[in-house]
Amino acid sequence: MKIKLLFSGLCVALGVPVFAQVLDPALLTKPATEAWPTYHGDYSGRRFSTLTQINQSNVKHLTLAWIFRVKAGITPNAIVGGEGPARQGPPTDPGVSTIKATPLMVNGILYFSTPDNAWAVDARSGRELWHFAWNGKGGDHIGNRGMGMYGSWLFFETPDNYLVSLDAQTGKERWHKEIADLKQEYFSTVAPIVVGNHVLVGVSGDSLDVPGFLEAHDPETGDIQWKWWSEPLKKGDPGWDSWPDEYAMRHGGGMTWIPGTYDPALHLYYLGTGNPNPVLTGRSRKGDNLYTCSIVALNVDTGKLVWYFQPSPHDTHDWDAAQTPVLIDAEIDGKPRKLLGQANRNGYFFLLDRTNGKNILTAPMIRSMNWSKGIAPNGQPIPDPAKEATIEGVLVSPQTGGATNWPPPSYDPDTGLFYVGTSQEYSMFYLTDTDPHPEGWGAAERDAGHLGGDLEAIDIKTGKIAWDHHYPFTGGAVGILTTAGKLLFTGDGAQHLVAFDPANGDILWHAGLADDLSNGPETYMLDGQQYLVAGAGDSLYAFTLEP
Amino acid sequence: MCQTSTGQDKGPPPKYNPISVERGKTTFVGACGFCHGSNAKGGEKGPDLLRSVVVLDDENGNAIGPVILRGRPDKGMPRFPFTPQQIADIAAFLHDSIKNAIERDNYRILNIVTGDPKAGEAYFNGAGHCSSCHSVTGDLKGIGARYEPVTLQGKFLQPNYTWTEGTPPHTVFAITATVTLSSGESVTGVIVHYDDFNIALRDSSDTYHSFQRANGVPSVEIHNRLQAHLDLLSRYTDADIHNLTAYLVTLK
Repeated sequence: MKIKLLFSGLCVALGVPVFAQVLDPALLTKPATEAWPTYHGDYSGRRFSTLTQINQSNVKHLTLAWIFRVKAGITPNAIVGGEGPARQGPPTDPGVSTIKATPLMVNGILYFSTPDNAWAVDARSGRELWHFAWNGKGGDHIGNRGMGMYGSWLFFETPDNYLVSLDAQTGKERWHKEIADLKQEYFSTVAPIVVGNHVLVGVSGDSLDVPGFLEAHDPETGDIQWKWWSEPLKKGDPGWDSWPDEYAMRHGGGMTWIPGTYDPALHLYYLGTGNPNPVLTGRSRKGDNLYTCSIVALNVDTGKLVWYFQPSPHDTHDWDAAQTPVLIDAEIDGKPRKLLGQANRNGYFFLLDRTNGKNILTAPMIRSMNWSKGIAPNGQPIPDPAKEATIEGVLVSPQTGGATNWPPPSYDPDTGLFYVGTSQEYSMFYLTDTDPHPEGWGAAERDAGHLGGDLEAIDIKTGKIAWDHHYPFTGGAVGILTTAGKLLFTGDGAQHLVAFDPANGDILWHAGLADDLSNGPETYMLDGQQYLVAGAGDSLYAFTLEP
Repeated sequence: MCQTSTGQDKGPPPKYNPISVERGKTTFVGACGFCHGSNAKGGEKGPDLLRSVVVLDDENGNAIGPVILRGRPDKGMPRFPFTPQQIADIAAFLHDSIKNAIERDNYRILNIVTGDPKAGEAYFNGAGHCSSCHSVTGDLKGIGARYEPVTLQGKFLQPNYTWTEGTPPHTVFAITATVTLSSGESVTGVIVHYDDFNIALRDSSDTYHSFQRANGVPSVEIHNRLQAHLDLLSRYTDADIHNLTAYLVTLK
């Protein structure tokens, strides 16, 4: 007690705001160095750090600083919220203890969440400051991507569709707001993104045929500011003629699973939307099904659609376009351009002009892909109708899980390469619901074979694979970080955190963990030391250079 | 999106008493099916009830009961003087139908045996090169009687990588590896683990060997007895798969 008093006295005496857990909004608009204040570190989604203390010459001297292992559920010291029935004992679902969030790091504190749980952890020592546990009413606990921050307030979503705001200093709840109906099979996984005074939140769930949406909430009150639906709601709305009728569009899916990116100069929020419903059969939804499987640019103050590009028109394979739309500034044909790159679940890499959504390049990422008849003049792949599920089955690659998936890719401006983890897999798709109005998924999938996983480096200007690391038996979609220290960090699917040379794919360093990398790695400076932090299963691992 | 839910915290999916579901279905088809369709997916006049927010919010008839009892005269729906049990049965039927749509892992695959067995036989002995390893009078004798068609199809698309054969019976692993050290010494065995940093094997005497790897050294050569099955994935047409399935089903 005495020591504690002494310390707090010191802080006051020196006037150092050691415990001032407030996020300076200016940090959000520049490359993350002394903080990691939003899901992707900054708004661009490129997950490239300008830090160089850890670099190719010394990466072999990285050493473990600490491990933080989560203890989820209603633990004795947890701050408890929520509207569900009281629970006893630790949660049994492994999803509750799997770290898919990229922790925020603000003023020396890490903040992150898993389904129904949130923590503040000392970024220097890996010690828990507080743990908040949500007593939920249910919902799919498949994952939670993390938190958003505004001033000293934190925001995260729960599986039962509440947006919860916590006081960062204490972990105490400020308010919670229900954003979707659990009984309609909505659940929530996305990390809220804070832009100005907007907390942008999305929803998940495609078991039943409900429409997706993105909402902006007021950070102070939690009140809704605007709502953008992924589909037209009635005849005459933008995109209505890509659906056969109102009934189809109102049940058309298009979930908003994954955080988007933001260009402050253009004032546009970029978001990849989910797959249409019913998921694996398109009979009741003839047409392109806008704005599902689309990259959309929304005015962040109004939620109005400014442009869209649809990577998978009339998708029938669960290939949402939710993967990170990465904002890239580079020269094309000698002219500086504002670009957007996406490594899509459908197996193609897309490069767009982010001022207007015009396609610059579409290039295949995997060889096994067999669902497309080619590329239309506007850059959209042309789906082969013969590869939509039939009663007797069709063989399709990629599987529903996609050539890649939600784990964040990375763009390195020093190499001009876009890095993504891919897999080459086949499935049979069997139509099971022959009703003219199928419901839910409407078809069954059976695994038919795997050709393995790769880490790919894609040249954004040509779409060509500059280098490719084929993993012996593992790999696939795994989170990636690149740095100006000429390093690429990712997981190999065999419980290693690995550093590659981003120029050529040489392996420079690795560390064995107790589980597979389950989030996107991050880095920041603290007390003059660069930290590398990665989540694998139920633990965060922090590395620094040997002193 | 979304892999299969693992949600234990979601609670077990609600079970609806099958007798109540069956009674509810009978009542529903008789009284409601004319407007809402006999599968409740909507009909000439009535909306799809499996996508109805009123039904989704309902528990044991608490939300749909009042609608059934009072009707919706403004929309042309008459009142139905059902007992609480009948209402609970209709609710069980509707919720069970919704559950069947949600639980995609339980969808029932329909008849997949639509191909031409003659063409399948030709593929087996010709383009598929199946007969270079398999025999319909040897290892595949009676295979059509041993497995359901969907399982049988899955077995040629993606076979098991271990099986039992020989006398006395012994376990065979399809994939083995040979590790060659810089000294020239080599070890061949079944793969226990293989990544960029380590390979571990069990040799024919079941002795465990583990080697560190760096930059592809020591070299590893993989032998996959089922490689032909992987290679076929990029060569099959869907008709090949349907025909081959139809042929294999006849091997009874």
